[in-house]
Amino acid sequence: MISISNVTKHHKGATRPAVDGVSFEIERGDFVFLVGASGSGKSTLLRLMLREEIASKGDIFVLGQNLVTVPSRKVPVLRRKMGVVFQDFRLLPNKTVFQNVAFSLEVIGKSSAFISEAVPEVLALVGLGEKAERYPNELSGGEQQRVALARAIVNKPDLLLADEPTGNLDPATSADIVALLEKINQAGTTIVMATHDVGIVDRLKRRVIELRQGVIVRDDKKSGYETALPNTDQIEMPAASEEQK
Amino acid sequence: MKLGFVFREIGQSLSRNVSMIVSIVLVTFLSLTFVGTAGLLQAQIGQMKTYWYDRAQVAVYLCTDTSPSDACPQGEASADVKATVDAALKAATLQPFVEKFYFEDHQAAYDKFQEQFKGNAVAKYVTPQQLNETFWVKVKDPEKSAVIVESFTGVAGVEEVRDQRSYLDQIFSILNAASIAAVGIAAIMLASAVLLISTTIRLSAFSRRREIGIMRLVGASNFYIQLPFILEGVVAATIGSLLASGAVVAIVQFFVQGYLATRLPLTSFVGLDDALLLTPLLLVAGIGLAALASGVAIRRYLKI
Repeated sequence: MISISNVTKHHKGATRPAVDGVSFEIERGDFVFLVGASGSGKSTLLRLMLREEIASKGDIFVLGQNLVTVPSRKVPVLRRKMGVVFQDFRLLPNKTVFQNVAFSLEVIGKSSAFISEAVPEVLALVGLGEKAERYPNELSGGEQQRVALARAIVNKPDLLLADEPTGNLDPATSADIVALLEKINQAGTTIVMATHDVGIVDRLKRRVIELRQGVIVRDDKKSGYETALPNTDQIEMPAASEEQK
Repeated sequence: MKLGFVFREIGQSLSRNVSMIVSIVLVTFLSLTFVGTAGLLQAQIGQMKTYWYDRAQVAVYLCTDTSPSDACPQGEASADVKATVDAALKAATLQPFVEKFYFEDHQAAYDKFQEQFKGNAVAKYVTPQQLNETFWVKVKDPEKSAVIVESFTGVAGVEEVRDQRSYLDQIFSILNAASIAAVGIAAIMLASAVLLISTTIRLSAFSRRREIGIMRLVGASNFYIQLPFILEGVVAATIGSLLASGAVVAIVQFFVQGYLATRLPLTSFVGLDDALLLTPLLLVAGIGLAALASGVAIRRYLKI
């Protein structure tokens, strides 16, 4: 499903790479957490898997395509097999819940017959069947994230990328969203989720990949958030500041 | 491809940017009207050339008693002079160039003058003797009229040799300059139309950045994302070109045919058929420019 080998991503003007020589594989149907402090490279890794960014070095195979070499014109078709959700939901404020989900199908040329069938179905799945005609600003944060999830999975993607989807939500609502993600995962969709949420990671006991300063420091099956490793961030920091002097 | 969706997007975008769209329409309208006018002027020049060059003759003016003395020291041209000129025009050397010629004596010139200036005060004061006797030469090839001019210029008893085309060329060069000026103004305005279109697209891409972001994430093709923007510019430019085409047709119908042609009945003017020939060119130019400007703007502001 996903195969990443020796991937390095340098951002322009940055002193160190955001992702530095990272390798891992994710099987079809997996549910993987990406954890690590802010700036550890989780989001960059997700953006690389979406081909929002292109790796400076290494190979990224997603859904059978090498994202480092795939030509731009083939990217849209590839993205139709992926879903994405973000911390900030990214809904269109001038469209209703139904229109927000339908929009993502309209723009890839789906027929209105397909849309009028698929959208209510997916809204029922995320528990928003009653609120199809509401606007995003009339919904709670949890409900907005459900709309975003519905939009991400309405085209039945093979892979769902989630960048801190519970980052703006309270613990109870977060648990609902994660339960929904588990449901989606059980239906066969591979999920990669970047998160800071200790509770969720600990409770689900899934595979955890931990990043620190762009490097994988841990890749455990059925693990929790807490790590046995010493916190190298704090050890390195004084050394770094001494270098600056 | 769902056209309904594309058209709805264009409709929304157009209504959001009404003032910019109106300015694109106006600028393309004005600039293409200038292009069309330049085209009409060129057509007019072409038409006048074929009409007048055909009728233009070379005039060999003979001396009169009132001619200036440096050209005609002997005064009135003698019968000898007339015979010489007549013989030269019939001679083998000039025969290939001369289609026909005729001699106009004082009385004939006077009659023509009286007819031309009927009612004008000057007609009363002119006498037949003041008007030149003239050999009117119709040349076979107007481009080679210089041969005749050179043959008789400076001949004793000939006051002046005048190719009528030289009068026409002055008129044509004025019309030509006018059409070049029109093209120049049009070029500047077309450049501003192109800039305006790309600015408009930049603005509407900015106002739709959320939608564009989501379209990219869910895998809408570049074509699908860009089409509404390209069509937006093209729709505005099409309206502008249609207005310009209407203006060109109206200029011909009401100004040229309705006003000029009735005032100057002897001149042949461009007709509606010339104007209708120009309209598809204006449409193609307007739409082509808009598509080009939109395409460039999208490449710069709609990175996929």
